[in-house]
Amino acid sequence: MTIHTEPLKSVSDIERTTLMTFLPGRIATVFGGRRWRSLAPLAVLIVLCVLIAIANPNFIELRNLVRLANSAAVPLTLAMGLTFIILMGSIDLSVEGTLSVAAMVVVLLAANDGNGNDYGWWAVLAAVVAGTAMGFVSGLVQTMLRIPSFMATLGMWFIGLGLSVYMLGGSAIRLNDASIRDLALTRFLGLPLAVWVATGAFLLAAIIQYHTKLGRHILAIGGDEDVAKLSGVNVVRVRITAFALAGFFFGISGVLAAAQLGQSHAVIGDGRLFAAVTAVVVGGTALTGGEGGVVNTLIGVLIVTVLANGMILLGISPYIQQTVQGLMIIAAVALSLDRVRLRIVK
Amino acid sequence: MKDRTSLTLSGTVSRRTLMMGATAGMAVLAMPRVLRAQEKPTLVTSIRSLSNPYHAVWKTGAEAYAKWAGLEHVTLVSEGNSEKGIADIKAMLAKTGGNMVLNSDPNDTPDARPIVEACAKAGAYVVTQWNKPGDLHPKDFNPNYVSHIEFDGIESGKTIAEILFKTIGGKGGIVALGGLISTTAAIERKKGLDAALAANPDIKLLDFQVANWKSTEAFDLMGNLLTRFGDDIKGIWAANDDMGSGALEALRAENLAGKVPIVGVDGIKTAVDAVRTGEFACTVTSDPFWQGGMGLAIGYNAKIGKFDPVKEPPEHREFYGKAVLISHDNVEEYYKTNVDAKPEIDWNDLWGRVTGAIRT
Repeated sequence: MTIHTEPLKSVSDIERTTLMTFLPGRIATVFGGRRWRSLAPLAVLIVLCVLIAIANPNFIELRNLVRLANSAAVPLTLAMGLTFIILMGSIDLSVEGTLSVAAMVVVLLAANDGNGNDYGWWAVLAAVVAGTAMGFVSGLVQTMLRIPSFMATLGMWFIGLGLSVYMLGGSAIRLNDASIRDLALTRFLGLPLAVWVATGAFLLAAIIQYHTKLGRHILAIGGDEDVAKLSGVNVVRVRITAFALAGFFFGISGVLAAAQLGQSHAVIGDGRLFAAVTAVVVGGTALTGGEGGVVNTLIGVLIVTVLANGMILLGISPYIQQTVQGLMIIAAVALSLDRVRLRIVK
Repeated sequence: MKDRTSLTLSGTVSRRTLMMGATAGMAVLAMPRVLRAQEKPTLVTSIRSLSNPYHAVWKTGAEAYAKWAGLEHVTLVSEGNSEKGIADIKAMLAKTGGNMVLNSDPNDTPDARPIVEACAKAGAYVVTQWNKPGDLHPKDFNPNYVSHIEFDGIESGKTIAEILFKTIGGKGGIVALGGLISTTAAIERKKGLDAALAANPDIKLLDFQVANWKSTEAFDLMGNLLTRFGDDIKGIWAANDDMGSGALEALRAENLAGKVPIVGVDGIKTAVDAVRTGEFACTVTSDPFWQGGMGLAIGYNAKIGKFDPVKEPPEHREFYGKAVLISHDNVEEYYKTNVDAKPEIDWNDLWGRVTGAIRT
């Protein structure tokens, strides 16, 4: 009897595994399991680049690579902040609100065509501080009032947006401070300064994630908050710090956006939230938290940017571009998430 | 327990006070309604939001007219919420007892009908702009629905395209940035571009892309288009100025600002400044200052009997207004009269900018 039960059990195990989880699981095992999966976003990026380059050799021109880097600068800085929040298993919807507040502060305090202020780089500092403060408040609201991050940051989004509308009087204010505009217009080693700032933001985020206690605690909270708490992590403090950190990165990207566009209006952040979330998830960071990181996000941002660039280079009609983008997102996530281990899909 | 009792008690007291207060308030409200009927009408402006420069200027125009006419003026903002827009107007009709003149830019096309019906019922006079359903006509609500004003998107798209073509010497490649695909303005302006292209076979449309009315999207898009077409791009047609200014900043990042002319629609300040520096070839504006003031002026003059809407010709009831072109030739003049100072408009010239009846 005992001899028969053993094989029977394993057969029913296989039956429970559906085709969809079984096949990719097998392929993944053949190529080295989890290692291969974590490299999937990079593979997607490389395949995408090769395909576009074959179709239109202009793609690998130096000028285009510089442009790619330039259009990735703002999304990358934003996504760096968002990565920490998503790693915790939370979400920060205040991206657009915080960005617009930072852009509003920098424009109104530096030389502009709306008022007489001219505080130069103090304006940049103030904008970053404003962004950090917004994130700090989000963190406080979430932990102290015990409001889910989704609602807390949704509120902060609208508060930020409303504040910008009010301060800017509904119109677009031009940024006339030449040294701040140089962030977008001056080049160092062939790349606009904004790209260097974004690179700096990436390095800073990488150091925080891989070499500080904060980074490890954020991952631990995302993995399992109860376990983290029992192991002595001060969850409240880590959460507030993480939200403030995210606000800091949003503040920097607000300054970059204002420098690039040479103006600020309340809706300067429109559409950035979804772009940032998409980049983080496509890069392989799980929305459930605890898995992924800033390096994944870098690749995710590049995939999204290259895709947008490629669709123009390939001359894909604007009427179907969004559809193509949607398909690519599903494909990238399907390849990179280890769905075999997912017991439930919500 | 004690706390609870006192809480309940305070509830009762406040409710009673509230009832008494409300009764008294209603009595007071009912009295002046009779008086108000002989009073001067209130001017009411209903717009989408104050967070865009367009409607902000609209409001200053409305205020300028109210001051000139010596009337009270109220601005209602729908914040893109149709129901709020309609409810606010109904509240205003109740408050003034119908003794008001409304100039409305309905949030969405279907909103125009309930707005007009409510005004007609209350005896108020109404002018709508931009949005109304095709089967809603001023003549069906005589005399309360005075006029409906629009601006011809095809004409605007065509005018700026022709100026762009002339600026680049009548031949070469251009790229076009369109607005949100499903909107009427985007569709009409593109039709105008297509018509101008058909008449100028030496101009080649390299690519038409959509930047959803936004400068941020146009900024990224323009960089990508420069990669694909490089120096073949001789000019840029944008369906609005905001996208045009995004494209301009993308050019500036490549040291091309001023070398590749841009045209747009709306006449926002950034674009007017760019026309002055030669980075924009032109922009056209429906002149929101005029729209804000003249919509009220037409309604008010009908209300006080200066003219009878019923006897006006069809092109005064549903018409295209004349858009103002701002190009290199008149930008200094425009700047002096519209940006440095508040524009001077002859508010008695009700029909001076009528260009014809709206196409059906």
